[in-house]
Amino acid sequence: MNVSSKIPLAGGPNPPVNDRPAKLPFLGFGLGLRAQHYDEILSGNPPIDWFEVISENYMLPGGQPLRVLDRICECYPVVMHGVSLSIASTAPPNFEYLRGLRDLARRVEPKWISDHLCWTGVHGKNLHDLLPIPYTREALDHVVSRVQLVQDYLGRAIVLENVSTYLQFNNSEMTEWEFLAELSRRSGCWLLFDVNNVYVSAFNHGYDPHRFLEGIPVDRVAQFHMAGHSHMGTHIIDTHDHPVCEDVWDLYVAALKRFGHVSTMIERDDNIPPLDELIVEVNRTREIAAKVLPPPIRQAG
Amino acid sequence: MSDFARQQNDFQRCILTGDDSVLTEILDSPKEKRETLFGVYKHAYVSRLVEAMRSDHKLLRGYLGDEMFDAMGEAYIAANPSQHPNLRWFSQRLPDFLKASEPYSDHPVLSDLAALEKALNDAFDAEDAPVLAVADMAGFAPEAWADLRFQAHPGAFRLDLSTNASAVWLALKSDQTPPDAVALAEPCRLLIWRQDVTPMFRELATEEAMMWGEAASGIPFGVLCSMLATYDDPAGAAARGAGYLHAWVTAGLLTGVSGGS
Repeated sequence: MNVSSKIPLAGGPNPPVNDRPAKLPFLGFGLGLRAQHYDEILSGNPPIDWFEVISENYMLPGGQPLRVLDRICECYPVVMHGVSLSIASTAPPNFEYLRGLRDLARRVEPKWISDHLCWTGVHGKNLHDLLPIPYTREALDHVVSRVQLVQDYLGRAIVLENVSTYLQFNNSEMTEWEFLAELSRRSGCWLLFDVNNVYVSAFNHGYDPHRFLEGIPVDRVAQFHMAGHSHMGTHIIDTHDHPVCEDVWDLYVAALKRFGHVSTMIERDDNIPPLDELIVEVNRTREIAAKVLPPPIRQAG
Repeated sequence: MSDFARQQNDFQRCILTGDDSVLTEILDSPKEKRETLFGVYKHAYVSRLVEAMRSDHKLLRGYLGDEMFDAMGEAYIAANPSQHPNLRWFSQRLPDFLKASEPYSDHPVLSDLAALEKALNDAFDAEDAPVLAVADMAGFAPEAWADLRFQAHPGAFRLDLSTNASAVWLALKSDQTPPDAVALAEPCRLLIWRQDVTPMFRELATEEAMMWGEAASGIPFGVLCSMLATYDDPAGAAARGAGYLHAWVTAGLLTGVSGGS
């Protein structure tokens, strides 16, 4: 039940859904913050418009990670990107985790909070993976209710990312893009369109990635991810340990044409190169957008 | 249980146990069989957790070698499925596991080495807190000192080891051949703390270790000095106590002082 949208909260911590912004700001072209680059970023003021931080890396008692994060937040817009929300789990939500996420958000004041359309475990266990779901009406109803609960708890609409999947369930009743579109429409959540993940899942399941792209509502996409992967011949694994490949750059062009100016970032999680190499990729996201689209109208906030 | 919940239950069980009954609910892809596709998730589960353990225990990995470390990691994963959403805490029980599980329990240095790495990791991201300064102590009149009680910084704590694991750690850290592991007649008492952002440790003398433990539990300075007097020259106990205290304050190991007003 979407309680906060029905009950007026005088001075309460969570604004009603109707007060939430109609559109998230365009931040430009960013990068995932990684510990290997802390010193260079803090001392060099690199030409990066914004940073995405992995929420769990900073859900800690204290010490250097949080100190660095505070300094980054003073200089750059930041968004929080989690991997453990487990929004599609059928287990009860982990409210301790949600409290930690909310506390971190109060410190960071992120432009938005994102995670993935997936589950990570049930029965008190966590498999630390972005596990796939069947695209059924039952699953959709369940995830819509969980998104509404989390949004009410956090007092803001969240952003959910399409994950790379390696298998499909035989009881699915709709496509992934139909599921995402309906989820966003019913829950009010925004979508993080991971261009690489669309490419990976499309290859793995044998469909045209442009069908996915065309099935996502134009006005619900808040962010793009660009990343690399490992091609195994018969399937692709989303390893985030390579540069973005040319096919994914091509799909990025198509995504820009459909969605317009969307905050875009390079996501590298493993085999992390020097910062300069990633800035080359960030610059390429910027340059391609400049060629494909008219100049953006920057929004305050 | 809903069908969705049952499906997640089955999927997780098959990843954790190797059971493949969930394959009946999975499609082959155009280019690959479902067994291989589900195997991506099974493989990722173990490899991701082993990788987290490698990251948390770099020197234990160096000591054991990759093959033995990974086998140990897989045994730990099987015995301790992750129950926390943050990977940071996954290997917290590794020292206890190594102490209790054969063949690792036959080599106590392994548990001690893991405990030392864990302690340093814990100090690294321990809660921030104000640090007591020498000037804060100067405000107390001499007659007030006997009643002073101290609070340890959250990132400062003691660790006792039964082996020469700290010498093994130091050798591995500097890429030198570690000494043979030996059990110690007396425990090695280490003080762990964070200096700015860097975790540190040093070995404590027996009486300083005692005083740290008692001070951290709230025993006032006057009593601490009486306790020190039972360890060595009673006439010099207060001076020794003041000396230890001064070292703790200058190293940023204390976060508060109370009493003595």
